Amino acid sequence: MIKYIFRRIVMLIPVILGVTFIVFSLMYITPGDPARLVLGESAPDEAVQQLREEMGLNKPFLVQYGNYIKNLVVNRDIGISYVTKRPVMQEILSAFPATVKLAGLSIFFAIIIGIPIGIISAVKKYSFFDNISMIFALIGISMPVFWLGLLLILLFSVKLKVLPASGFSSFKDMILPAVSLGAQSVAVITRMTRSSMLEVIRQDYIRTARAKGQKEKVVILKHSLGNALIPIITSIGLQFGGLLGGAVLTESIFSIPGIGRLMVESIKMRDFPVVQGSVLFIAISFSIVNLLVDLLYAYVDPRIRSQYS
Amino acid sequence: MEKGKMTKIALALIVVLMVGMLAGCGGGGGNKSSNVEDKDELIVATAYDAKSLDPHAVNDVASSNVMLQIYDTLVTIDGDGNINPSVAETFEQVDEVTYKFTLKKGIKFHNGEEMKAEDVKFSIERAANSPAIAHIFGDIDTESFEIADDYTISFKLNNPNTGFLSSLAHTGGSILNQKAVEAEGDNYGMKPVGTGPFKFVNWAKGDRVELEKFADYHGDEPKFSKMVIRVIPEPTNRTIELESGGVDVAYEITTNDISRIEENEDLQLSRMIDNQIQYLGFNNQKEPFNDIKVRQAISYAIDTTSVVETVWRGVGKVAEGPMAPNVKYADHSIEVHEYNVEKAKELLAEAGYPDGFKTKLWTNEKQERVDMATIIQSQLKEVGIDVDIEILEWGAYLDSLSKGEQDMFIIGWTCQTADPDLALYGPLSQETLGAGANFSFFIDDEVNDLLIKGRRIEDSPEREAIYKKIQNRVVEQAPWVFLSNGEAVVGSAKYVKNLELTPFGYHPLFKIYFE
Repeated sequence: MIKYIFRRIVMLIPVILGVTFIVFSLMYITPGDPARLVLGESAPDEAVQQLREEMGLNKPFLVQYGNYIKNLVVNRDIGISYVTKRPVMQEILSAFPATVKLAGLSIFFAIIIGIPIGIISAVKKYSFFDNISMIFALIGISMPVFWLGLLLILLFSVKLKVLPASGFSSFKDMILPAVSLGAQSVAVITRMTRSSMLEVIRQDYIRTARAKGQKEKVVILKHSLGNALIPIITSIGLQFGGLLGGAVLTESIFSIPGIGRLMVESIKMRDFPVVQGSVLFIAISFSIVNLLVDLLYAYVDPRIRSQYS
Repeated sequence: MEKGKMTKIALALIVVLMVGMLAGCGGGGGNKSSNVEDKDELIVATAYDAKSLDPHAVNDVASSNVMLQIYDTLVTIDGDGNINPSVAETFEQVDEVTYKFTLKKGIKFHNGEEMKAEDVKFSIERAANSPAIAHIFGDIDTESFEIADDYTISFKLNNPNTGFLSSLAHTGGSILNQKAVEAEGDNYGMKPVGTGPFKFVNWAKGDRVELEKFADYHGDEPKFSKMVIRVIPEPTNRTIELESGGVDVAYEITTNDISRIEENEDLQLSRMIDNQIQYLGFNNQKEPFNDIKVRQAISYAIDTTSVVETVWRGVGKVAEGPMAPNVKYADHSIEVHEYNVEKAKELLAEAGYPDGFKTKLWTNEKQERVDMATIIQSQLKEVGIDVDIEILEWGAYLDSLSKGEQDMFIIGWTCQTADPDLALYGPLSQETLGAGANFSFFIDDEVNDLLIKGRRIEDSPEREAIYKKIQNRVVEQAPWVFLSNGEAVVGSAKYVKNLELTPFGYHPLFKIYFE
């Protein structure tokens, strides 16, 4: 098991190299001069040139990339923001908690709504409840998150005045963003739960469980759900990993200073170190979430557990 | 249950949900009226977060808006454009290039240190060396500082510049505490120390800056003890927060929300034409725009009034000349240029383009600029000019503009002090071609000589005449089509009093009181 985890962590190295190289090249070929953007359109040319020199932007591409990697490996440093002059790590760490909070609440919301609905839909296939919840799942997947967000604000902040339209400090602030961001995940998880459950319910061992007189509740929640869980966990993991990458639209609509907004602002300002650092950070968190999901398989499914030893 | 009944219930449920959603779209509502006498906190919603609170590191409106509450400058400018002493007790221009300041005694920084001439020297020298504000402070002679005693300091400029005193009122002229700056190093932008009415408490990036009343402030004591400047990028949300009492003041109210605030009896709207001008620039060195007749023809062919009214819908105003109306010496006798398609066609024919030509119009993705470009495109079609609109992302846009690859382009320029020099020198002088903001590559010796003369002679009817002459000459030479002037539109709760707007986009919030 430890060996497996170690192997997976080692596999992060090519991921990091690949991600940094791609982002670095993309930023390099994008038109727009960071020095000019930092100083504004009114700055004289000499000042811009001087700043370019200080930023090391005059050096050839490979030298710049090499320096970046060297700094990363040797000093474990991902640089200083061109715009705010603060260490990139600090910038990321001040934005990431908001994103984690938002992603965590959204996925929590998605799980507590999605799984029960999925189970009921599967058990009562083609029933009224099933049809309605599948219609809502379809709406949930199709509805743009910013539109849902705005509708929720209209209803709960403007009309009913029960929830704030922006902010992220209290739980109350987070309800609307989490619901609007989580809506899509609810839909995905509901559908995944339903189809996975349907698959399992048809199996012989479920018939056997029923035949031996097991209570229906146990048949569904233990025998069926237990076996249906793997694909559900996979989709939850993917959803959560994606949400950790920042939800620019939701973050903008609800004024949440998360990593999505940080990244978009930095791209606009050509703040290369921050873009680079954020992408790296997101890639690593995504990989870690995936690793955790894989480990969770082993916990859920004894067959997989046995493969690790 | 039978199937038909089920379907009916399902339909009913869907209808109820739909109605619920639609009901959410109705009109506004009242404001929570809390006890105004006990109110001790001002919450302001802005669109952008500050980039840094180091006055020498950046030069953007959002940062200045916070710094104005934290720092003091040597002098300030009042609403009528008069220069008044601030931390300087008196100031004096000794000769063409030498300025002398006597400082008030006993002014304390937020860290308890007393402000002395050394701090002023440190700050002004740092400003002079800062690339971000080089166009405002770059001409200070950093070798020339003379400190007579702790409260008397003088320094020189490399060249005479009459607008310099009003430049000192820009937040780039803020006085910093040398010790604090050196102690924090690179992190100073996150831990500012000034002498202003509010001291810095906390900055949650992207979310809010929290400030607290400074007990030892040397000026009038603020009437409330806590100020929170929140970042709410979504314009509608700023209005919603204002309506629901979440904030007291909201910046940058968009056209859509103006009537909602005006009709709400708990709210008020403050407006002021700012120092910005949006213009359509020509590349004056490139064919066919190097021909004045072509430039004039395009001016005649564009119905600016309708462009501006359609796009800005009542915010801002139609620009008349190259200088916004609140800048000193703006010539108010200049009128919006004539719209005359026939004349435009005539001029084009005289210039050798009777059937028009094909050209490109660049803009960045700012929605209002794209909309203006689209209308201009259709208006120019009337005179046979076939315009291709290209939308560039801001970074790429600035880059390409300074290289001179453009035909026509739409951009804005803001005069950041009250002096006309900063309104015109950057975008029109020969020293600043391309990279220095003269993106239209306008080269006109008469204008250039006058611009240089204007920055050297002292305020007088003669100086006024020079700037009026420049404006008229620019109108005549038509290097740009003047489109619109911006406007600060700020919403606030009715109990917010003394909200003073400035044409620079950042406002002295510390003067507010509640009633």
